[in-house]
Amino acid sequence: MEPTSQGVAQALPAAAVGTPQAGRGLGWIRGRSRAKRRMRTGERVFLWSSRIIVWIVMFLILVPAVWVVGTSFQPGTYFTNTIFPTGFTLDHYRALFDPNLNVGFVTWIRNSVIVCTSVGVITVLLVATMAYAFSRFRFKGRKYGLMGLLLIQMFPAQMSFIAYQFLLNKIGLYDTLQGYTLVMIGGGLPFVAWLFKGYIDSLPRDLEEAAYVDGASKLQAYLRVILPLTRPMMAVVFLFTWFGLYSEYLVASFLLQNTSNYTMALGLHGFINSAFTQNWTDFAAAAVLGSLPLLIVFLSMQRFLVAGLSRGAVKG
Amino acid sequence: MAAISPPAPADAPVVKPVRRRRRFLDGLYPYGYIAPSLAFMVVASFFPILFTIYMSMTNYSEAHDLNFSFIGLDNFVKIFTVFQPQAFLGVFEWTVIFAAVTTALNFGGGLVLAYLLNNENMWERNLYRTILIVPWALPGTIAILAWGGILQNFTGGGMINTILVNVFHVPSIPFLGDPFWARFSVLLVNFWLGYPFMMTACLGALQSIPPDVHEAAEIDGANGFQKFFRVTFPLLRTASLPLVIATFAYNLNNFGVVYLLTGGGPVTSVTAGATDILPTYTYSVAYTLHEWGLACAYGILIFFIIGTLSSINMRLSGAFQEVD
Repeated sequence: MEPTSQGVAQALPAAAVGTPQAGRGLGWIRGRSRAKRRMRTGERVFLWSSRIIVWIVMFLILVPAVWVVGTSFQPGTYFTNTIFPTGFTLDHYRALFDPNLNVGFVTWIRNSVIVCTSVGVITVLLVATMAYAFSRFRFKGRKYGLMGLLLIQMFPAQMSFIAYQFLLNKIGLYDTLQGYTLVMIGGGLPFVAWLFKGYIDSLPRDLEEAAYVDGASKLQAYLRVILPLTRPMMAVVFLFTWFGLYSEYLVASFLLQNTSNYTMALGLHGFINSAFTQNWTDFAAAAVLGSLPLLIVFLSMQRFLVAGLSRGAVKG
Repeated sequence: MAAISPPAPADAPVVKPVRRRRRFLDGLYPYGYIAPSLAFMVVASFFPILFTIYMSMTNYSEAHDLNFSFIGLDNFVKIFTVFQPQAFLGVFEWTVIFAAVTTALNFGGGLVLAYLLNNENMWERNLYRTILIVPWALPGTIAILAWGGILQNFTGGGMINTILVNVFHVPSIPFLGDPFWARFSVLLVNFWLGYPFMMTACLGALQSIPPDVHEAAEIDGANGFQKFFRVTFPLLRTASLPLVIATFAYNLNNFGVVYLLTGGGPVTSVTAGATDILPTYTYSVAYTLHEWGLACAYGILIFFIIGTLSSINMRLSGAFQEVD
């Protein structure tokens, strides 16, 4: 008998169905009867036509992205005159970091990282405490609080950009990263509050009661028992806040005027729209460097992120 | 509440004033958790919203930068009568078309892909899903700006047009310069950006349908199409309706894809362009015309439209029951 795979496969109900042939790849892990038995002709036709459609779609979806990546290595300032790149150079990547050219790429990254990380951290801290109260306690004004959150969520936060500009001017935070950070914390809270509340709702109350029996105070039960359990949701909230803010353009364009305060979104937009520096190859390099880290984080955590979103947001 | 406070020992001497104070403090306890967030939201969200409402009733603009005054509902009257009502109606019409077509395309495309990937015989489907999710994983602003480069006209060095002219020797296509093509481009890019989310959501919904249902349909002699349209789709409809409405509401306010790709243009009237939707129109009223009070009034109108849709959605998804 073969060492493991056969043995495991036989232990699974799948083996009882039909010829226990060696499943393709690791298919036997699933232990589903479907994967085991021979496909019917109809199923095979459907499978292969699905595959071909999916391949075509993937090709069409990826072409623009691959094209931009290829352009970032292309010598010169324009896109290629041929379908495939004709040369290879790292000059455009070097140009982004060349202090003499003064592209500002490093500044944009720094500003974006500062703003996104501060808003992310503060949002997580605020929402973790607020959501706990809404999930676990019944108090006067709870209903109105939750309604208010829904209402603010409906109001497109970005529509207040004129008020933000006016008010930040009054308190001297106009055209500062601090002012922008402050505004963005308030705007994102309602949505993640519902997400987080949904998550805490799904944690059993017995956990806290067990802590009380062991002599924990209310604060200890929250800090030592509940808070550590919400770590996955904290990560989801942090990452979504981070990613969302990284792409924010509207409010930033109103509140940040000085180029030294530009975020990635503002910087790249300015980069491509100033006619005399219209330089597609440099832009492509900036676009690749500006999105690659996020792409890697998102794809490597996709299951986790999607699960977090759907687990917290069962309602609304 | 009672379950949360630790049980008092039965024979403890009862000291009335202390107990009363503790009960009072217990009542305040939840507010301690809310206070920091509340402070932030009052400062950074509530107050600016109230201020926006107030500003929508003033003549705050570049001409009245420092000495603006309260003018009641004049701005709202102005929107529908004096200030380019034709332009506004055109923008409104396109906003609704844009949001509806985008929602239909993204949902349709996402659903078809999810259906194809939800096939147990396709053992490599996780790889496909990861690849198909890439547009969602990219930062939206950067992706849209890069699309702007791809769709530029020939003289601007656009990628597709360079290939069309230099390799295939056919005339270039004004993707961003012609009203029809600009609208086409906006929808195309928004599909590229938006279908992965729908695909992921539909895949989740499809996987939650128990396989017995399909087996039962099969036994009853249903073919592939019947299985999809008579069994799968009706089951999906209830799960995905809130999602569809939310996508529609979100796209009514999808500033980025329009502004960063076409800037609202090409220009068709003094204030509006062919691809302008309400938020980009508001933005240009504020940013280029410097009519800030008026822009706030547009913002309030958008709020009412989106608010109505969102409340319908919350009723459907049961968020209101959750509040009680």
